[in-house]
Amino acid sequence: MTHTIRLNVNGKEHTVEVSSRRLLVDCLRYDLGLTGTKEGCSVGVCGACTVLMDGKPISSCLALALFADGKEIVTVEGLAREDRLDRVQQAFIDYGGFQCGICTPGMVVTAKALLDENPDPSVDEIKEWMMGNLCRCTGYYKVIESIQGAAAAEEGGG
Amino acid sequence: MSYGKIGQRLGRVEGPAKVTGEAKYTADILLPGMIWGKVLRSPLPHAKIVAIDTREAEQMPGILAVLTAKDLPDLLTGRLVYDMPVLAIDRVRFIGEKVAVVAAEDPDMAEDALASIDVEYEEMPAVFDAHEAMNPEAPLLHPDYRSYAHAPEKFFSDIPNVHSHVTWELGDIDKGFALAKQVFEHTFSTPAVHQGYIEPHASVVAIDPDGRVNVWISNKMPVRARELLADVIELPEERIVVHLAQIGADFGGKGSLMDAPLCYHLAKRTGRPVKMVMSYTEELMAGNPRHPTSIFLRTGVTEEGQIVARQAKVVFNSGAYAAFKPVPFVNIPGAKDAAGVYGTPHIRIDAYSVYANCVPSGHFRAPGDLQVNFAVESSMDMIAEDLGLDRLEFRKQNLLKDGDWVPGGPQLEEVRVAETLAAAVKASSWNQPKSQPNRGLGLAVSHRLIGTGEANTQLTLKEDGTIQVLTPVPEVGTGAHTILQQIVAETLFLPLDQVRVETASEIFKTDSGSGASRVTYVGGQVVQQAAGELMKLILAAGAKGLGCAENEVVFEGGRVVRSDSDGSLSLVEVAKLGGDGKSALRVKKLLNLSEGPPMTTFTAQVVELEVDPETGQIRLLDVVTAHDVGTIINPLGHQGQIEGGLLQGVGFGLLEELRIEDGQVSTLNLGDYKLPNIRDIPPLTTVLVEEELGPAPFHGKAIGESSITPTGAAIANAVYDAVGVRFHDLPINAEKVYWALQQHRGGKG
Repeated sequence: MTHTIRLNVNGKEHTVEVSSRRLLVDCLRYDLGLTGTKEGCSVGVCGACTVLMDGKPISSCLALALFADGKEIVTVEGLAREDRLDRVQQAFIDYGGFQCGICTPGMVVTAKALLDENPDPSVDEIKEWMMGNLCRCTGYYKVIESIQGAAAAEEGGG
Repeated sequence: MSYGKIGQRLGRVEGPAKVTGEAKYTADILLPGMIWGKVLRSPLPHAKIVAIDTREAEQMPGILAVLTAKDLPDLLTGRLVYDMPVLAIDRVRFIGEKVAVVAAEDPDMAEDALASIDVEYEEMPAVFDAHEAMNPEAPLLHPDYRSYAHAPEKFFSDIPNVHSHVTWELGDIDKGFALAKQVFEHTFSTPAVHQGYIEPHASVVAIDPDGRVNVWISNKMPVRARELLADVIELPEERIVVHLAQIGADFGGKGSLMDAPLCYHLAKRTGRPVKMVMSYTEELMAGNPRHPTSIFLRTGVTEEGQIVARQAKVVFNSGAYAAFKPVPFVNIPGAKDAAGVYGTPHIRIDAYSVYANCVPSGHFRAPGDLQVNFAVESSMDMIAEDLGLDRLEFRKQNLLKDGDWVPGGPQLEEVRVAETLAAAVKASSWNQPKSQPNRGLGLAVSHRLIGTGEANTQLTLKEDGTIQVLTPVPEVGTGAHTILQQIVAETLFLPLDQVRVETASEIFKTDSGSGASRVTYVGGQVVQQAAGELMKLILAAGAKGLGCAENEVVFEGGRVVRSDSDGSLSLVEVAKLGGDGKSALRVKKLLNLSEGPPMTTFTAQVVELEVDPETGQIRLLDVVTAHDVGTIINPLGHQGQIEGGLLQGVGFGLLEELRIEDGQVSTLNLGDYKLPNIRDIPPLTTVLVEEELGPAPFHGKAIGESSITPTGAAIANAVYDAVGVRFHDLPINAEKVYWALQQHRGGKG
């Protein structure tokens, strides 16, 4: 059975025909072509598929596309503004917060949500917030440094 | 020495693409008309296939093709020895083996169709344990092994199911044990562990109307992949183009064709581009994990505490196929380190790689090193205790020295193990009095020889004055592209942004790809040499343009300058002039290093931890990792390699186990298979023992496979120090510690 859903992704309205069981991650990647969002474990553990729904991080591999009807979604493609990287994105580059980059879209989206809610998080708060995002490359030390670096950077600055 | 670009702390060249989501991994390749492939896997560990009925599946909506082995050429494949069918031929040998494949308009339809395929099996006796598989009565998995393509005769064995037996020897082992006052025997084992890359294997194949086969694949060796694919789909290599996508980490596990041959056959059958992406469950069931290993050590020690003999028998459970092993002896190279970092005059190491009805094993960062180091470094503590010696002093007394040989390696020069060990100890609380009960310290030391092989590049001065560096090495996350950029920029005295690293596989014939901590060493040298040659061409073209002799020009400030006058040319102008006959200024180069340098790199780690005696939970209080390093080309990437490897070592020591029960992997998702998360990281101190004497360009050394190796043993030794329980197998998880403590107390009570 198919349904028509309307969702706002990165500030742009979309109307999509989806089957009842279409997952949000597949809707974003294959219906809308936004392949920045990755699918890793498919069971909501690794966090690679994290997107913001109405400002809150969710695992798009566990959410039905129907669930996003009428919602505002932000994906990794929606963080940079007019070719200017978000400070979280820039900090992840500058502090080595990723290597292979497959977890990075989920990481930066989750970190962005953290700083929106808590502009100056402690290391423990970073760990608490980020524990749903697995990274096999970095050992997380530089993920923490990246988020601290982003927090220290001036709002809107590089 | 001081350099311009070398030693800069640089974010990676592909960084912006990765943080914006623009970077394309294989699963992100979207092509018009693309369809999806999914495989049906065997539910049985060993069985004859009596019949496969695909008729119902073929009639289902959206299904475009259903293939079984009878639809494919009767060929086997593998990274070296060809022993694995693309789809099971008449027989399945492990739970998870591919039996049939479906192509459908979308993955859900493909999944639905799989459930309608009816396979009739006739179960056969199976064997799961490598030692049991070596018994004469064990079922033989591959009675025809000796006839397989590329099976190396030199390593054949008469022991059942042993497909490779490799021996490394130094001195005379019998003589060694004759010199010993005491002989110790210890046995250890380690489980299968998954590489844990977050990107599951993906493959895409699209066949052009003219027959050109376009391939995207999560594979770190695209040139080799093309060669292997050509063999198994029976096409000339020239017809195949392997396009390089980003790789969502490798850690040794992304060197096979995986589903690419199936994508090809489905694409050929349907006329549509085909994508296959493994689910993570399929990864855990049928990826190519680190080998479950058992290690038997026999050690002869003199009265003075000198190790004079080391015998080792290392048994690797290869699983149902050897197809994921890339090295010429089709075994696991890390076994050769079974004497550790200790100068031992008489050594004999036997490594057996054994077929069993389990998931086929493959390479994982420092393959074999971790398993063997856990055994060697645990045994060092045990022997020291038995001899009444201090475990640090016992190690120090036996460390490798300049002029010592290591099995399978060179006679060593510039041995810096004593300094590295001392640095680790100094940075830790080793020499402080024991603080509290249930706390303990452990140390372990390892070494790793740098990898050799082939590397290619093509350097071109482009019309915009930039240098294009073409490499067939994909960026698997190690920072290789950034390092190649730095080396070329340094060699040509150019700003970093004037050097662009790009990938291409089709212009190169052979290449070893990424692995074995090889890229900075071999790949770095080839771009350095090519850059030197390109500079000569630039100077020659510039001199011609300036109307003077080549020895009258110099390269200064990014321009070719006449030394005797004001005349000069920018690189844009030189590029326009071109080389001889107006061709582009270009150097294409292949470097084949078959022998490594007489040098190795050392890692020493000290772990301090606390065991909760009530729950068995281990908390890491402090980890020190010390490394013997050369010139560090990119400190940011270098430290990233250390930290990432270390946490994988922590996972190996404390958490990770691909549980296999009667051939069935039971940890089938990342909830059950525990990868360390951000809350598992220990406080970490890194000590770099620096000296500019490495073999890589600008005297660099390898780092990629260093920090992961000794962590498991250091943890095991610290647990013993804390609570007096010796673990002979990994991981040392809370449950195991809890039961061991119960038993320990019971024994004491």
